[in-house]
Amino acid sequence: MGPLFPQEIINEEFNLIFAFLIGIGFGFLLEAAGFTNTRKLAGVFYGYDATVIKVFFTAALTALIGLFIMHNLGWIDLTLTFYPKTFWIATLVGGIIMGAGFVIGGFCPGTSLSAASTGKVDAMVFIGGVLLGIFGFIFTYDFLWKELRVAGAMGKVNITEWLGILEGVFIFLFVLMGVAMFYLFQKWQDWWQKRMSKEDLDELGL
Amino acid sequence: MKKIDVIIIGLLILGGVVSIFLPNVEPHKKIIGQKELLHELNKEGRYITTDEVARMIMEKDPSLILVDVRSPEEYDLFTIDGAINIPVDSILSPSNMVYLDQDAYTTVLFSTGNSLADQAWLTLESYGYEGNRVMKGGLNQWYQTILNPKPPSSTEITREAEKQYLFRKAAQIYFTGIQVSGGTKAQAAKSKPVVQPVKKRKKKPVSGGCG
Repeated sequence: MGPLFPQEIINEEFNLIFAFLIGIGFGFLLEAAGFTNTRKLAGVFYGYDATVIKVFFTAALTALIGLFIMHNLGWIDLTLTFYPKTFWIATLVGGIIMGAGFVIGGFCPGTSLSAASTGKVDAMVFIGGVLLGIFGFIFTYDFLWKELRVAGAMGKVNITEWLGILEGVFIFLFVLMGVAMFYLFQKWQDWWQKRMSKEDLDELGL
Repeated sequence: MKKIDVIIIGLLILGGVVSIFLPNVEPHKKIIGQKELLHELNKEGRYITTDEVARMIMEKDPSLILVDVRSPEEYDLFTIDGAINIPVDSILSPSNMVYLDQDAYTTVLFSTGNSLADQAWLTLESYGYEGNRVMKGGLNQWYQTILNPKPPSSTEITREAEKQYLFRKAAQIYFTGIQVSGGTKAQAAKSKPVVQPVKKRKKKPVSGGCG
């Protein structure tokens, strides 16, 4: 039956209403999970908190497995869903900038909005920075970024076709990798937290 | 590790193992099962009467598409004005989908009787092209009711029957040109396709991104 919008099962207005409701849930849960705390978010880079990596891997794997099984049950037609073209150089450069911003600022775009709504001033400043970055990109696009934006174009790449393996097998391997990350980061976190004094941990407000 | 971590890891691995045994992502083909098809077949909703069709033509209803599913030879010999010819054996060819796979128009299929049009309708329905209708009784019924209507017999004179007969008489004049301004049957039959269908509204492109 799904996806709803591309098949015109729901109209544009309802699509926005769903987006609004899902957005409320997303923001609520980000705050509830402590993701509006910059030190918790940045903790994954320093090693004393692995929540971020665990949550993101669990979310990605749940979506991956869930969509794949639901497609096979006929509940959703994955061929109608959007997936973007690959520009590997542009993505790599963007990823480096995003990662640097993440570890320096302690937010990603979504969590900064969530944190700003709880009144955190650093998050508001972060959003200001995001806007500056966006406008800076727009006004320097023509002479700085035009070529980078399409650098490394590979067209639509399906990773299983690219690797030449079955989708189910790829999902299984990806799950194994995720579980390994889950385990290793947990160990790293335990090791770090053992070395830190109680005052240091309390100071982080995890 | 906490208990919840172990449960989550266990569920993810289980999902991953199940995924190994599932086939690759291919587009779903919507083919209706025999049971549903039989159910659809028993519904009278697919029929539209010759009177309704005649009324729509006379009122110049822009949403009507008439599809003659007989062979091109039969179509050349005689058809209803404005009908297009899509023989039943080429009903699924992609160029015809403009007429059949859309919901903006009322597509009416007809043949000499019911069977060819029903066959075409069934083929379309089983591939999920809904909203097509069949003209009940086909051209035989068209001839008996519209082109050559009989007055109601003395045993069944009711207001409705009388009204229907008057309508059919008017339709006869409209379609055959009898009594009006010298237009002949042959001339009427010559002006053929007038329907200009538009393509179904394009599905909106999906776009996405990450926050």
